[in-house]
Formats: sequence, C-alpha cells, structure tokens
Amino acid sequence: MPLAVELRSITKRFGAIVANERVNLAVERGKVHAIIGENGAGKTTLMNILFGLLQPDEGAILIDGVPTVLPNPAAAIKAGIGMVHQHFKLVQSLTVAENVFLGMEIRKGLFIDHRAQSERTATLSKQFGLEVDPNERVGLLSVGIEQRIEILKVLVRGARTIILDEPTAVLTPQESRELFQTLRGFVSQGMTVLFISHHLEEVMEVSDTVTVLRLGKEVGVRPIAGLSKAELIQMMVGHAISFDRRPRQKAKGAAVVEIRDLWARDDRLLPALRGVSFDIRRGEIVGVAGVAGNGQAELAEALSGLRAPSHGSILLEGRELVGRSARDIRAAGLAHVPGDRLVRGVDRHASIASNILMGRQDALPWSRRGIIDRSYLTRRTEALMRRFDIRAPGPQSLVKSLSGGNIQKVVLAREFSTEARFLLIDQPTRGVDIGATEAIHAEIMRQRGEGRAILLISVQLDELIALADRILVMFAGRIVGDLDAAGVTEEELGLLMAGVVPERQRDVAGIA
Amino acid sequence: MGQRLEALSGQALAILFALILGAVVIVAVGENPVRVLVTLLNGAFGSPERIAGTLLQATPILVCGVAACISLRAGLFNIGIEGQLFMGGFAAAWVGFSFSLPPVIHLLAAMAFAVFAGVAWIALPAFFRTRYNANEVVSTILGNYVAVLVTSYLTINIFKRPGGLPETPPILPTAYLPEFFSFSRLNWGLFIGIALAIGAQFVFQRTARGYAISEMGANAKFAEYGGIDIRRQGFLILLASGAVGGLAGGIEALGVHRRFMEGFAPGFGFDGVIAALLANGSPIGTIATALFFGALRSGSLLLEVDTTASREIITVIQALIILAVSAQIKLRRGASDSMAGERRWKF
Ligand SMILES: Nc1ncnc2c1ncn2[C@@H]1O[C@H](COP(=O)(O)OP(=O)(O)O)[C@@H](O)[C@H]1O
Ligand SMILES: [Mg+2]
Repeated sequence: MPLAVELRSITKRFGAIVANERVNLAVERGKVHAIIGENGAGKTTLMNILFGLLQPDEGAILIDGVPTVLPNPAAAIKAGIGMVHQHFKLVQSLTVAENVFLGMEIRKGLFIDHRAQSERTATLSKQFGLEVDPNERVGLLSVGIEQRIEILKVLVRGARTIILDEPTAVLTPQESRELFQTLRGFVSQGMTVLFISHHLEEVMEVSDTVTVLRLGKEVGVRPIAGLSKAELIQMMVGHAISFDRRPRQKAKGAAVVEIRDLWARDDRLLPALRGVSFDIRRGEIVGVAGVAGNGQAELAEALSGLRAPSHGSILLEGRELVGRSARDIRAAGLAHVPGDRLVRGVDRHASIASNILMGRQDALPWSRRGIIDRSYLTRRTEALMRRFDIRAPGPQSLVKSLSGGNIQKVVLAREFSTEARFLLIDQPTRGVDIGATEAIHAEIMRQRGEGRAILLISVQLDELIALADRILVMFAGRIVGDLDAAGVTEEELGLLMAGVVPERQRDVAGIA
Repeated sequence: MGQRLEALSGQALAILFALILGAVVIVAVGENPVRVLVTLLNGAFGSPERIAGTLLQATPILVCGVAACISLRAGLFNIGIEGQLFMGGFAAAWVGFSFSLPPVIHLLAAMAFAVFAGVAWIALPAFFRTRYNANEVVSTILGNYVAVLVTSYLTINIFKRPGGLPETPPILPTAYLPEFFSFSRLNWGLFIGIALAIGAQFVFQRTARGYAISEMGANAKFAEYGGIDIRRQGFLILLASGAVGGLAGGIEALGVHRRFMEGFAPGFGFDGVIAALLANGSPIGTIATALFFGALRSGSLLLEVDTTASREIITVIQALIILAVSAQIKLRRGASDSMAGERRWKF
C-alpha cells in the first residue's frame, strides 16, 4: 500500500538559515503521525511545504505514491491535504456554518443555502465528534471551539490527510483530550493525521509514529509503542533532561508582596476575582494552579495595573499598587512576563532591540534627554542575546522571524534584566520546546536565588511542582488551596482545580 | 532594510500601474497620453517659474502630509486636516489684518494662532476618541465640513472687506511670510515643511517619545503593557497632528494669499493625507510624494491650456493611485508573514 504522504530529502533555506535539511518523512495511511522537535527545528516549515505555502529548494513530495508539485494551498487541498494553522483565520461576525463554507458556499440559485450549510456542518460535526452549534456567531465562541471550526473547514474541503500545527497550544487540558478523541476518530475512518507538537505526553498519548526533527534535520522515526519518554527527549534535544523538583533552601525572607481581599471583574463585568489574599516572600516562588478561566488572567492583570481591581489592596514593599498606572507599578518594582506573549509581550513586527527597549525607553542609560542611545541599546541587546541564548542573526532581527521559544526568551531577557523586586511570570513555557523550557526554568530559579519574589502562573502542573515553593489553587475566582509544593501530587492539585475541596482545606478556601 | 525596499518598490509599482490605467483613460477621452504627459511635465518643470509653482503647490501638501504622518504613526487617523488648515488659515489671517505689531512678532503671533486654531479644531474629536473611544475618522471628517462653513460665514458676514469678493481684508506686511523670488509666491513655508518632515522623522526614529508613539501604533496592547499611557499619548498625538494642520493653513494665509478667502486651499488637507499614505507614513518619504502631487497640480494648469483634456483627468489619476496603493498595501499585508515594513492602519 502506498504511503499517504512521503517527503524525500526536502531542503528549505531562508537566507542563511537552513530550516529543513534533507528531511525525509513517510506517513502511513490511517495513522496519527507526530512530528516533534524543539522550537525552530523546522516543523512548521516542513508542513507549510506539504501544504503548498512554501516551495522546497530541493526534494520531492509524493502523495499516495505519486510525485506531486504543490505550487499553492489550493493544489494541496485538491490533493486531499488540509492544514489547521496555529493562528485561526475566522470571520468573527459570521456564523459557524458560514465560516465553514466560506469561499465554497452551497448555493440555491443566486443565494446562499444557509439551511443546507447548517445541516452539512451539523452532520460532519456529529460524524467526527466536533461539537458545534452551526448557527452560533463565531465572535462569541471560545478558542477551543474556533479550532473545531477550523478542522471542519478542512473536512468539508475533502481532506484525507490533516495537518495540525501545535493544535494544543491554545487548548485547556480537557479540550486537548477531546481533540485527541477526534483525531483517533479520523484515523479509524481511514484518514491520516499529521500532528505537530513539542509536548511529549501528548505525542505519546495520541500518535502511532513519531518523526523527530532537530535543528532542521530529521533525527529519527519511531513507532510510539515501546518508546520511552526518556528516549524521545534524548532524541529531541540530544541530551537527557530531568523535570524533577529543583533543589532549594527554604525561603525565609520578609514578605515583599502582600495581597489582601482583592476583587476584580472580567471583561463581561462579572466578578472574576473574589477576595484573594496571599503573601510572597523574598526569594520565594509562589505558584498559581487552576483551570484556565478561574481568575488567573484577571489576577495577573490586576497586579500589573492593566485591570483596575474593584476592591482590595496590593502592597509591594509596603507601597500600595491599587489605583496606580502600569507605568507606576513597573517603576515601583514589577517585572511582568505576560501569558499572551504574542499579543502583549512583544511587537512581532519590530526588531529584538526594539522589543528589549520597551518600558525603559525613558530611563538612563537607554536614553539621554529623550534621545535613545542606539549604540547602548545594540550592545545591551547583544549581551542579553548571549546571556539568554536567543538564537537570531542579530539585534535587528525581527521578532516574528524567531521561533516561539526564542520569542519567549526575548521577553524574559527584557523583564529579568530590570531591577524589579517582584516578578510576575505567566505561562513561561507555553509553546516552548524542551531545551528552551529547561533554560527558562533554570533562569527562574536563578532569579529566585537573587531574592526576587516570584508569582508563577502556569497551566502545567509539572512546571509548578518543579519550580514553586508553595502552590495556590484557584477556582471560581477564589484561592481554594495553599499547599507546600514539596510533596504535593498532580492528583491532589487536580482535585482542587476541579473544585473538589477536601475537608481539611475548607478553612483556607473560606467556603461554607 | 531589504523589507523597506520591498515596501517602497511595491509603492512605486502601484503608482506605475495607476499611471498606465490613467493613460487608458486619457485614450478613452480621445487624447494622446504621451502628449498629456509631456504637457504635464512641461507645466510642472518647464521653467523656473513653473518649478517654483510646483514647489508652491507642494508646500501645503507637505505640511498637511506631516500632520497625517504624526497621527498615522500612533495608529490614529486624523483625516480632518483640511478643516484644521481652514481654521488655521483664518486664524492667521485674522491676526494678520486685525492687529498692528512689530514685524517678526506679528508673523510669529499669526503663526501661533494658526497652530492654536488647528489644535482647537481637533480637540473635540481627540477628547471623544480618548474618553469614549469614538472613531476619530468619522469625527474629524465631519469637522472638515463645519470648518469650511464656519470660516466662510466669518469671512462673508463679519470680516468681509469692502468690494465684491468673498474675502477678508489683506494682512499687514508685518505678518508676511517672506518670499524667495519676485516672480513667485514661493515662500519660507517650503523650508518649514521640510524642517517639520525631518524633525518628525528624527523624533520617530531616535527619541524615546517617538518609540512610544511607534509602538502604540504597531501594537497598542504591548505599549500599554510596557507602561505607555496610550490614552493620554493618543490625545496628545491628535493635538500635535491638528497643530501641524493648523500651521499649514497659517503658511498658506501668510505666505501665499495674504488674506483669507472662500475656497481658500481646496483639497490640500486631503492630498496631504494621501501623500502620507503613499509614503507609507514616513515623513521624509512624504517630501517626495508631496512634490509628486504638487507637480500634478501645477502641471494640470498647462494641461487645460495646451490640450483638450480637462484638469479633472488629474483627479482621476489621483484616485487611481489611491486605489492601486491601498490594494497594494492590502495585498502585501495578506501575503506571507515574512513580509515586513507594513504598519497596521485601519482603513
Ligand atoms: N519566513 C521565514 N523567513 C525566515 N526564516 C524563517 C521563516 N520561517 C521560518 N524561519 C526560520 O526557520 C527555522 C525553522 O522555523 P519553524 O519551521 O517555524 O520551526 P518550528 O515550527 O519547528 O518551531 C527557524 O530558525 C525560523 O526562524
Ligand atoms: Mg512552529
């Protein structure tokens, strides 16, 4: 039986960067084939080539055993290949069904047959377990559902091989699990899935075969059965990594941050924080766990001055932050690694240097009498790029040309090079590969060692357990658990995150 | 740098495309495009007087273009420059004919009033934009119509000079913006425009404030996160843009017309916005695009004399350029993400 997709010796260069170097990929029909590799390993490039978005410099593409040239995505779609990109392109004001059929509307005479489109969407949605309401407007839906719509779009266009580029990066754990079921459903109906990820657990959970890319080269293909996590990590990064709890001495310093009875509303004006209180000491990492949407985002925004709390107090070294501007709060000693780094964390269209400058453009020695010292900026950026191992040609490289891990390192380089006493770190390794994750974790521990007070918000429990001294669990806008991170288990945290409050914790949670 | 070149060549291609379409239109109205082009060039650059005429037309477009660049840089769209220009022109003329002051002081006072009038005229839209997030495009456009009518009312009903024409009394020579040559009205306004363009470019590229403005235009959420007060800054940017728009009116009143009159400076404000867009929001680039539009305007004068084509053909060509350039920006933005050099304006 011919392979569903075969890439032979694909090479793709971007100027001096070799994004793919003689990469081979053989995908069997009816299988979930994962492609894993660090950020910048060339996964997206390879998939863009298969989807006709990029042309390879060398190499051949075979689809169902037939050599094929894919000059554009239309040709790829015609060959039965569909791709779900990481960033969705849906029209917010149209309904789900209208989006699914955008550009290939079912017509009745001159008009769009909305009824037929809705029915067809509903059928497909049922067939593959992609639950959506065809007549709902997309603007009202969550990211997880938007992704289902993107998948439906691919399906109605007749794709038999579906590429998903880091689909879980935007999903909650629950949504990811549902996605995996859908993917298994695809292959059981004879379709083929190409699944891009850098999450080992996910790859091991959902795929049949994995191809590992490292620095643009293919370093191995393995069936998942019988493959250990350690082997896979070894292949990905070239050396073994442990995710164990980081050794430390107990933090005994004074409280740097004191938060008392903090309340805030979300964008819909519903209460999102309902009386949160805690302290962070010098040299202490306080972790915040919780299912996304339980107030963590609002907590981060309230602390950084981007959202006005409706009640309560935030003291940083004794100074009140509530009611002060983001600028004042930064000046008072906050550094902030935002959770949505492509939205808030960087200007993607600007250079690395320009991104490093943000927030300090008015301060010596970055500028003098209002004029930016460009040579200082260049030198500092170069130094930070070395110190944080940011892989890019130079300070003038545009941020959008970097991989996710390197973009995050730009944010860290900027925020960790301030004098701030309080680091607010939100999702430091989301969308970041293992090698960079390792480096980022080490960096956070170094900041702890320098006596900074750190609030670490993460959806990854292993990350919290590895780094935090204490872990707060948020549920429905409240803190429902305050646990010593040494000795806590993921199961324990999971129960609290689900809102199941054990007897002995009721006092802490303040729930009657 | 390569990407900037790409953006520039895209712009040039768009203009070329528009000119070719324009040639088709010229053929369609029964004229010879080559003859029209030669006449245009001759009208714009054929003699020292004509070159001066081109520069004279380019001056208000340049100053208005810089006003547009300032707001575009922050991601805001002051399209009411025409109105600010009318208000500024009237204010400067009023100071010019109502007071009698020593030479330099009179000129400076009149210019200051022009600036102030431009600021006053945009203050309301700027306030509503900042306070209630009201779209500044709509409110500044509306301001244009009001400005034209208000200045026209003041001119005809209150300050009209004796005689038949709808114009104010002439300003006193103490408030004149000096001319260069005896044969043209070309005046110091040109240098003011060039200095403003260079100054704006410097501020955008080298200063901390310019950085904050540029980042606000590129990614307002990032700017906000970095501690930039985007509301306050947006308000001030709109005022600054209005100030330069008002100054453009002052230059026209004090340097060219030496009075205020109905139909005082038709379309310079709009041409300025287009010149700025055509230059991709770059003040220095606006020097070139303003010159281009100035040449079109002054060349079109000879066009009516020497050919059967009407001056409106120039308006058609300008419209084609606008279409081609906006289509081109849209295409470039939609194209693969490796393209850069674009700023994200909301048209
Ligand atoms: N359009 C582009 N222009 C220049 N370099 C690019 C472009 N796309 C990707 N690259 C570079 O190619 C390499 C591989 O990137 P990518 O395929 O996105 O990696 P991955 O998806 O594995 O994170 C990176 O070093 C990236 O910076
Ligand atoms: Mg990628």
